[in-house]
Amino acid sequence: MWSAIKSVLAALIGVQSDQQRRTDFSSGKPVVFIVVAIGVACIFVIMLAALASMAAR
Amino acid sequence: MRSPWRWLLSVTFIASIPQAQASGWNMPVGVTDISRDIYGLHMTIFWVCVVIGVIVFGVMFYSLFRYRHSKGAKAAHFHEHTSVEVLWTAIPVVILIGMAVPATATLKNMYDTSQADLDIMITGQQWRWRYEYLGEDVAFTSNMSTPWEQIRGEEPRGEHYLLDVDEPLVLPINRKVRFLMTSDDVIHSWWVPELAVKQDTIPGFINENWVQINEPGIYRGQCAELCGVNHAFMPVVVHAVEEDEFEVWLAERKEAAEQEAMGIDREWELAELMERGEAVYRAICSSCHQPEGQGAPPAFPALANNEQLISDLDWHIDLVVNGVSGTAMPAFRSTLNPVEIAAVVTFTRNSWGNDTGDAVQPSTISGWIAQ
Repeated sequence: MWSAIKSVLAALIGVQSDQQRRTDFSSGKPVVFIVVAIGVACIFVIMLAALASMAAR
Repeated sequence: MRSPWRWLLSVTFIASIPQAQASGWNMPVGVTDISRDIYGLHMTIFWVCVVIGVIVFGVMFYSLFRYRHSKGAKAAHFHEHTSVEVLWTAIPVVILIGMAVPATATLKNMYDTSQADLDIMITGQQWRWRYEYLGEDVAFTSNMSTPWEQIRGEEPRGEHYLLDVDEPLVLPINRKVRFLMTSDDVIHSWWVPELAVKQDTIPGFINENWVQINEPGIYRGQCAELCGVNHAFMPVVVHAVEEDEFEVWLAERKEAAEQEAMGIDREWELAELMERGEAVYRAICSSCHQPEGQGAPPAFPALANNEQLISDLDWHIDLVVNGVSGTAMPAFRSTLNPVEIAAVVTFTRNSWGNDTGDAVQPSTISGWIAQ
C-alpha cells in the first residue's frame, strides 16, 4: 500500500524513478493504484477548496 | 491590505517608478491604491521572469558553448535523476506560490465593492456611455466630442483625438465609488488605465467594480471591447475633483435636472427646439446619420429629404422613442429626456431641406413614452 501511495504521489508531480516503475508493473495490482489515485485526487481537490475558502475569508 | 505583501509590492512599485515614467512603454502606475498594487505586482513578476530567464538561458548557452562537439564533448547517457527532477518541480511551485499570494491579496481587494460612499450605474450603448448617480437623481450621457472634421482628416488632429467627451464622469477623490456596469445592446468594456479599471458591460448582467482616486485630474480611457462600427468613438473621460468641488457640481446637476423636468410641460418655440436639437443631433445622431443628415445607407438611412420622415410625424417620433428592432437604431426613451427627443425630432424635420415647420413639443413626447 505504501508503495502505491508513493507512486501515486510521484505521478502527481510527474516524477518517477525507473526502478519504482518496474516494481509497480511487476508486483502491483491495478485496482490498488486506481483506489489510491482517486483518494489522492479527492484530498487534492478538498485541499484546494479549503485553500480558496481560506483566501476568500 | 496590511501585510508583508503590501510592503513587498510597495518596494517594487517605488523602485520601478523611474523606469515606468521614463520609458512610456510600461503600464501606467495609476492614481489609486489598487492601480499601484497592480503595478507593483506587474513589476515583481516581471523581475522574477527576468531572473529566471537569465539563469535558464545563461546555463543553456554556457553549456552549448562549453561542451560543444568541436571540443570533443561526449553526450551523457543517463535515464533519470530523481533528485534533480524533484528540485526543478519544487522550485517553480515555490515561485508560483510566492507570486500567487500577493496576487490573490490584490485580487480580493479589487473585488471588495462593499461600503462604498457613492454608487454609479454605467451603461454601455452603441456608441456612448450613460452615467447615473444612484440616489442622487443625476444622470447623463457621455458622447465623444472629437469633431468629425478631424476624423475625416479635414482638420489637424487635436491633443486628445478620439479621447474627448461632451460630458465627463465627475468623481470625488478620497471616496470609495462603486460602479454597477451593464449594457443596453452589445458587450462593451469600460476601461481607464490610470484607474486600473477594465470591466466588461454585458446586456442582462450587472458587473461591479470600484475606485478610490487619490489625486485630482483628468483620466482618459476607451471602450475595450469591439462593439460595432463606431467602437473607436466611445471614449471615457473621468474628472476627479476635490470632495467640496464634487458636492458643488452635484448640486448644480440636480438643479439643472429639475429645471429640465419643468421644461417638459411648457410650450417651446421652434427656434429653441432647433438650437437644442442641433446640439443633441451632433452629440448623438451624427455619428451614424452623418453631420449633414446624408446617412450611410443601407445601415444608416439618410434623414435629409427622407419622404417617409417628412410625411409621417408619428412614425418619426416612434422611431426615435422606441428604436427599430433588428437594426442599429436604438430606442432613446431611456437615453434622452422628452425635451431632448422633441428637440432632435424637430431639428431633423426642419433641416437639410426637410422644411416641415413642425415644432414637436416635449409634452407630446412625454405622452408617447407613457403609452
